[in-house]
Amino acid sequence: MANYIDRFNAADRILHWAVAISFFLLVLSGLGLFAHTFFDYFDLFGGPQQGIFVHKWSGVVFLACSVLLFLRHVGETCSFDEDDRKWIAKLGGYLSRKEQEIPQGKFNAGQKLFGIFAIIAALIMGATGFIIWDPTAFSRELTKFSLMLHGLFFTLFMVGMVVHVYLATIGNPGTLEGMLYGQVRKRWAKKHASKWYRKVVKD
Amino acid sequence: MTNHWIDIRNSDVVLIMGSNAAENHPISFRYVLEAKEHGAKILSVDPRFTRTSARSDVYAPLRSGTDIAFLGGMINYILTNELYHREYLQLHTNATFLVDPRFEMPGDLDGLFSGYNTDKRSYDKTTWNFQRDASGVPKSDSSLQDPSCVFQLLKKHFSRYTPELVSDITGTPVEKLDEIYRIYGSTGKPGKAATIMYAMGWTQHTVGTQNIRTMAIIQLLLGNIGIAGGGVNALRGESNVQGSTDHCLLFHILPGYLPTPKASLKDLATYIKKTTPTTNDPQSANWWGNRGKYITSLLRAHFDTNLTTDDEFGYQLLPKLDDGQNASWLMIFDRMVRDQITGFFAWGQNPACSGSNANKVRQAMAKLDWMVTVNLFDNETASFWKGPKMDPAKIDTEVFFLPVAASFEKEGSITNSGRWAQWRYQAVEPLGNSRHDSEIMNELQHRVRKRYAAEGGAFPDPILKLSWNYGFKLLDGQVRKMDIHAVAKEINGYFLTDKVVKGKTFKRGDLVPSFAYLQDDGSTLSGNWLYCQSYNAGGNNMARRSLKDPSGIGLYPEWGWCWPVNRRILYNRASVNADGVPWNKEKPVIWWNGAKWKGDVPDGGWKPLSQSGTKKSFIMLPDGVASIFGAKMKEGPFPEHYEPLESPLEKNPLSKARINPAMKLFYEGNEKLPQDVYHNSDQRYPFVATTYRVTEHWQTGVMTRNTPWLLELQPQLFVELSPELAKDRGIGQGELVKVSSGRGSVDAVAIVTKRFRPFKVQGTTVHQVGLPWCFGWNTPNAGDSANLLTPTAGDANTMIPETKAFMVNVEKARG
Amino acid sequence: MKRKAFMIDTTRCTACRSCQVACKQWNKLEAEATVNRGSYENPPDLTPQLYNQIHFIEQDKGDDLRWLFINRRCMHCADAGCVKVCPAAGALYHTKEGMVAYDQKKCIECHYCVNGCPFDVPRYDENQKITKCHACSDRIQNGLAPACVKACPTQTLKFGDRDQLISEAKAAGKKLYGENDLGGLGVLYVLDDEPGTYRLPKNPAIPASIFFWKDVVKPLGILGFWGAIGVAALHYVTVGPKKIDDSEDEPRKGGE
Repeated sequence: MANYIDRFNAADRILHWAVAISFFLLVLSGLGLFAHTFFDYFDLFGGPQQGIFVHKWSGVVFLACSVLLFLRHVGETCSFDEDDRKWIAKLGGYLSRKEQEIPQGKFNAGQKLFGIFAIIAALIMGATGFIIWDPTAFSRELTKFSLMLHGLFFTLFMVGMVVHVYLATIGNPGTLEGMLYGQVRKRWAKKHASKWYRKVVKD
Repeated sequence: MTNHWIDIRNSDVVLIMGSNAAENHPISFRYVLEAKEHGAKILSVDPRFTRTSARSDVYAPLRSGTDIAFLGGMINYILTNELYHREYLQLHTNATFLVDPRFEMPGDLDGLFSGYNTDKRSYDKTTWNFQRDASGVPKSDSSLQDPSCVFQLLKKHFSRYTPELVSDITGTPVEKLDEIYRIYGSTGKPGKAATIMYAMGWTQHTVGTQNIRTMAIIQLLLGNIGIAGGGVNALRGESNVQGSTDHCLLFHILPGYLPTPKASLKDLATYIKKTTPTTNDPQSANWWGNRGKYITSLLRAHFDTNLTTDDEFGYQLLPKLDDGQNASWLMIFDRMVRDQITGFFAWGQNPACSGSNANKVRQAMAKLDWMVTVNLFDNETASFWKGPKMDPAKIDTEVFFLPVAASFEKEGSITNSGRWAQWRYQAVEPLGNSRHDSEIMNELQHRVRKRYAAEGGAFPDPILKLSWNYGFKLLDGQVRKMDIHAVAKEINGYFLTDKVVKGKTFKRGDLVPSFAYLQDDGSTLSGNWLYCQSYNAGGNNMARRSLKDPSGIGLYPEWGWCWPVNRRILYNRASVNADGVPWNKEKPVIWWNGAKWKGDVPDGGWKPLSQSGTKKSFIMLPDGVASIFGAKMKEGPFPEHYEPLESPLEKNPLSKARINPAMKLFYEGNEKLPQDVYHNSDQRYPFVATTYRVTEHWQTGVMTRNTPWLLELQPQLFVELSPELAKDRGIGQGELVKVSSGRGSVDAVAIVTKRFRPFKVQGTTVHQVGLPWCFGWNTPNAGDSANLLTPTAGDANTMIPETKAFMVNVEKARG
Repeated sequence: MKRKAFMIDTTRCTACRSCQVACKQWNKLEAEATVNRGSYENPPDLTPQLYNQIHFIEQDKGDDLRWLFINRRCMHCADAGCVKVCPAAGALYHTKEGMVAYDQKKCIECHYCVNGCPFDVPRYDENQKITKCHACSDRIQNGLAPACVKACPTQTLKFGDRDQLISEAKAAGKKLYGENDLGGLGVLYVLDDEPGTYRLPKNPAIPASIFFWKDVVKPLGILGFWGAIGVAALHYVTVGPKKIDDSEDEPRKGGE
């Protein structure tokens, strides 16, 4: 296993997949509420009432796991340095085939930004979701605003998720392995997270 | 009503005073608004700004109990500004008649008319008569100039009612008085019509009858009686109260307004002679001259038809009043409390809440041996023995409750305020053990008759000789099922023998075509002469439903049937001039086409007044004309303002006579009851109060409080009061307050509203409050009846209780 | 079918509340326990058991006291916020007469519709299903007037052809509320004062947040989602993935 180094431990991986599964449950069960075009998605759950039930409780799971996951990596996620700025300036080098060496930590600047976006979005979805859990419980203005925000962040989340899934799978081969069984190849680490790699090897 | 509901739409001015039509007669407002749409002015005069006021063009407040002052001021305004209809007055009223020169008026006798006897609290009316010529016809001055003529006396009498003085009494701002007077007075022109819609706000005063008299005088001055959109219109408080009055609801009349026999009227001949008005005027129709025919036909309906002239058709079997006896509502409970009444039927009524001074009424019931209540629901009367302040252990009254069918569960006729008798049908079967009233009566009379037949007893004949031909009789004589059509036919009347009348041949059993065919020889039977024509050879006229209106003024002559003889507007011969030409050619009620009358059924079919051999237009009055001078009244031929029994004023601002000098006083003498207290101008009870109804509840609320949808709308007793008074007493919106009078107290939710405003009266601020009387303790959390506060005091003529003006205190309820 | 409407002429209303009771009777709605709070107005607000109600408004303009009454209910908007926000197809819908009716069987109990309503009308029954005035759709389909209209003694409430009601009212010189708002309301008012006095919004509109959600976020979101997928695919075939060259892996250094 000399080609591999540990990247995510079991707790990280379980949390991540809990987030991912609850996310897709949320999407599928929430689409019917987002617009009547998607009303038939409720059929996946056996009906709207059941779909709404799944949506509400997978929302709880999603929010809780997202928060835990974020807290586990809050230090790495929320610290940016000069390299990160370079990475951002060059958009991670994703716009050209040319190999560009930008030293990055465990997470690159894009991943960190996505992590921050995801936790903020999750909190907003959680908060607005709580308010519209019973849309007659809070003031009409607050509820209406929450409905709008919930819809808005849902669409933002969807776009972010497409990018995340692409980059974590076929966009960057080898990345997914870290989340599947916790290890990535050393070549992958040198290439994508050289600072982290050096640190890990040094330790 | 002299006119009818639909006719309101023909008015140019609608005065709503002494009633709250929008709230208590909601359907009437359809026609009020129709009039308004056509440009009519709607005037609302009420102590409180009501839902009626909300839809009116002008609202004027007045202190409860000061209507005569308000209207007296209007009479003064009309006379001073010469807004009256002179030709009408000359033709159709006694304005031209000359009065006994010895007659004196309140202006000269400090509030009294001539002939007052202080001890008897009544008038010797000798001087209240007209001067008559040798043949006995009243003398008159058609120029209206003679100082003894009614017109000049009226002018003199009401000249005292200046706007300033009126305002000082009523609390109505002078400019509001002026506005109302000006608008209403504008209808004195021929072709213009004003109507008055009044109800209990006028009648339930110690001067109730005179309130209405005052308005009748105004309507006559302006020529508003008999015309479309005019009249004096009492809005009856119950859908069939007109019918029940026609059929002798009151103690002093028999069906068709025949007087109840008195002990001194020893036989039928004497009764007819003494009660039949006479006239020497060949131009007076004096329709009551037919009294003999009507009473005889009525006796025929009451008793076995094998009674003969020798039996006076059963006259001796009628109950008789002692001379001078008053057996009105207030007296029933007064006698009951004094242990003079043993048993009582409360049939379709709830006196424990509806009776004035309800504590007295409730205590009276405890003195009874038995009481039968006939009602749809349990109520405060049926359960009085377990009500507040009652100890069931100490009450020996045996109470029976008979459940009765509701209106939808029975067939029959009802007569509305506009005198329209309308037939209605049974929609559903009565619930449970409840029965049609007539079936309850059927059973009752059968059982009572059986006991009298078996056991005799004192004077059994009125029972044993009572006729009861209302359907197939079983072997024991009981009618198996009441045939309500047989009752209706008996009310109309039929021939008992073959007879030729007015050239027409009638067979025994034929229905009488109309009251002109009734006889005094016992050959006809009629349960109520006024209803003769309602059910005749043409069929059940009350069931007619034709929408034809050839008049174009909404008479609908073939919809239902209207007494008398389907005349839709009473006194309609006053709607035309001496030549039979209508005052209003656009809305003619009747008109003379040269040979006969066209339009409505004329009030007496005689030719126009300018032609010879005619009769005058007010056929029910011995003088043939309308009475501006009304000597029949107990307290004077002209109305005069007196304060209510309980008022905030120590003195009458107008004279030394504070209260109605002819009213009965319950609060004096050795036999005074502790319940009959009153407090005038007393700091303990400083606020004027009045009672009223609300749209959402009906009468004492027995039916509506048991309809949850209606209780939802108005769940609790409330008292309305001004923000000024609320502030003064530290009462907040929606807080529970205690309202008390000398007779009792109730807890009510405060509705603090600008719809009540303090009055400026005699230089002081007078507050008024108001409460509905539709609640009772039998409905949980609803509160009790406002009639616990009202006094035992009645109108001098009718003894209707004074529930619309009395004094109370209002304070925050404790705890 | 021509669009129908209610015409409510508040200048004719006497606040007898026959409309409130007739509605309960026809729609078999329960009575509710109430208390007097110092006003005739009761119940205080629309409830699942109360589809229309009369507001009593006392207005003191110096000497002139006024008591205004208005029948409040679902306004049956052409451009209806509740229909817009409702996720369930056919739960809230316009009848062929143009009235906003509902099918409780299709209602998914999400409670969104009240938030889409500019007039705060929909309520939810004990099964959490929507209830509100549906213009007695069972009656009007059979050519009868809605129960409230039938019961109104003063013709304050009228129901009929919308264009005709409007032209009649205008011919009588009356000013209308709701003629053009929200695509034209199905309940038109003749008012005696400013809409605000009657607790009505001056310019009723679908709430901005609901409009933003349904008319901006939703289309852009769908576009964004597919756009992102497109961009990813494009990226994959143009720029391509960042592959790791397997040959560059370090040789094994023996077991650790």
